[in-house]
Amino acid sequence: MTPLERLEQVFQEHAGDEALVWRDRAYRFGELAELADDVAEELERSGITPGSVAALEADFSPSGIAALIALLRRAAIVVPWAGTQPTVREKALRVAQAEWIVSCQDDGSVKCVETSQTADHDLYQKLRSQRHPGIVLFSSGSTGEPKATVHDAACLLDKFRKPFSAPRTAAFLLFDHIGGLDVLFFGLFGHGCLITVEDRSPGAVLRAVERHRGELLPASPTFLHLMLMGGYHEQYDLTSLKTIAYGTEPMPDTTLSQLSAALPHVRLVQTYGLSELGALRTQSRDSQSTWVKIKGEGVDWRVVDGMLQLKTPTAMLGYLNAPSPFTEDGWYMTGDRVEIEGDYLRILGRESEIINVGGEKVYPAEVENVLLQVEGVAEAVVSGEPNPITGKIVVARIRPSGLDFDAKELRQRIKRHCREHLEAFKIPVRITFDDEAQHGARFKKIRAASNNSNAEEADLPVEKSAPP
Amino acid sequence: MADNERVLGVIRDAVEEINSTLPEDQQLEFSEETALFGPSGALDSMGLVNFVVAVEQGLEEEFGVSVVLADEKAMSRRTSPFRTVGSLKDYIHTLLEEKQHV
Repeated sequence: MTPLERLEQVFQEHAGDEALVWRDRAYRFGELAELADDVAEELERSGITPGSVAALEADFSPSGIAALIALLRRAAIVVPWAGTQPTVREKALRVAQAEWIVSCQDDGSVKCVETSQTADHDLYQKLRSQRHPGIVLFSSGSTGEPKATVHDAACLLDKFRKPFSAPRTAAFLLFDHIGGLDVLFFGLFGHGCLITVEDRSPGAVLRAVERHRGELLPASPTFLHLMLMGGYHEQYDLTSLKTIAYGTEPMPDTTLSQLSAALPHVRLVQTYGLSELGALRTQSRDSQSTWVKIKGEGVDWRVVDGMLQLKTPTAMLGYLNAPSPFTEDGWYMTGDRVEIEGDYLRILGRESEIINVGGEKVYPAEVENVLLQVEGVAEAVVSGEPNPITGKIVVARIRPSGLDFDAKELRQRIKRHCREHLEAFKIPVRITFDDEAQHGARFKKIRAASNNSNAEEADLPVEKSAPP
Repeated sequence: MADNERVLGVIRDAVEEINSTLPEDQQLEFSEETALFGPSGALDSMGLVNFVVAVEQGLEEEFGVSVVLADEKAMSRRTSPFRTVGSLKDYIHTLLEEKQHV
């Protein structure tokens, strides 16, 4: 049985169960199945053939989910697009060679529009030759070109084939994000209920958890930090919540211990997902620990020069617009630097985000963690800035807790605190304040572009004296 | 020259700021002869980086211009402007004059 056949079976067996809460209304599996059939007819009418590349502009609405299922059943190659990044839409659709744009209308129907592009990429040809549906996801790399990853949907969904039950899950992550799609399919295959939210603010998400008795909340550390800071968790009844799964960026220890103290009844687990590999199963050592075991059938890991490499059956076929990130023997180079302790791993951060100060390595997450401990600091983003003396210096952008603050006094307080907790080369040299929120629609930190510019660094005269 | 006092004032503030981070026995004195960075200087590379940024921020506040002290031009000078307080002061004057002529 293929994964999609299994999904069909789940839809039939659980036709009367809640599959989705959208705009506070519950939809049953039977309703979603009918909608998917309607979309299938529309795809047929429009002439979307198997193997066509179709951008799907949608979110977790009943028609969006129905369209995704219908397209996959048709063995189309789907490019989910949640529309949170309008500035890169044109470029992304061009990179993906989208031949069709399928969008959800307000009345629940879908509209299919043909583009003038032809999708002839080798990876697409490979999917077509096997008659497998595909999914194209953009890697949410912090800088540079968005990289388009091509997945064989049959491989990506294979792990859901065995029967299991999923909890009622809040859809915090996005429709075009590997974590968001994983949560969606986890819920559908496990006949759980997906609780969608109007927006991704702490208030809206927790309100949905309270109102619809959410049991699982997948979220980013940035979101969780904002939730704690604003005291949102105290305003809503979260007794139904059993698990918070955090991922997408490193979790600061401070946030984790605050979270564990604030919600003692909730199990905290870390997830590890990459657009390139799919969402992997992990097991946290305990709720207070950022050490994880990477699990999952057929998933293997190794560490080479301190960097994590993974081999997974759910790995993408490749990038449309970038060289292969796999080693010759098929290991994916994550670019994540890790520490190992027995079977457990701790993810320190992206190698590309590490700031090299006179030869010493600084992990932005470590410094941000210390900055967040300072009273008066609401958010902190640390990045590198070119400097001729040490190559790079550490700079911090701080959003203060209130508008009423003395910049000079706060800067001194921050530096004093940093001196007690960080080595000299890790202390932000330049500290600026602004009151803009520092996270994007994905509730992930936005770091300055300068920290990835290795080319820029190479051009600078770097004094080779190491810092103390 | 009034500017001279203002520039020295900015450097003095930066020295004080750095001193607040240094142990008792490594405190910088403030005079034009005070050695900053070099064989007899009191600052290590991180100290210098912090000091330079403090002076840059001070100049921006005092003169309303953004001055980059540590760049390729400064690093390629035969005599580093960061040797002493005096040499730094002279270098700042040169940069400020250049700014005014642009």
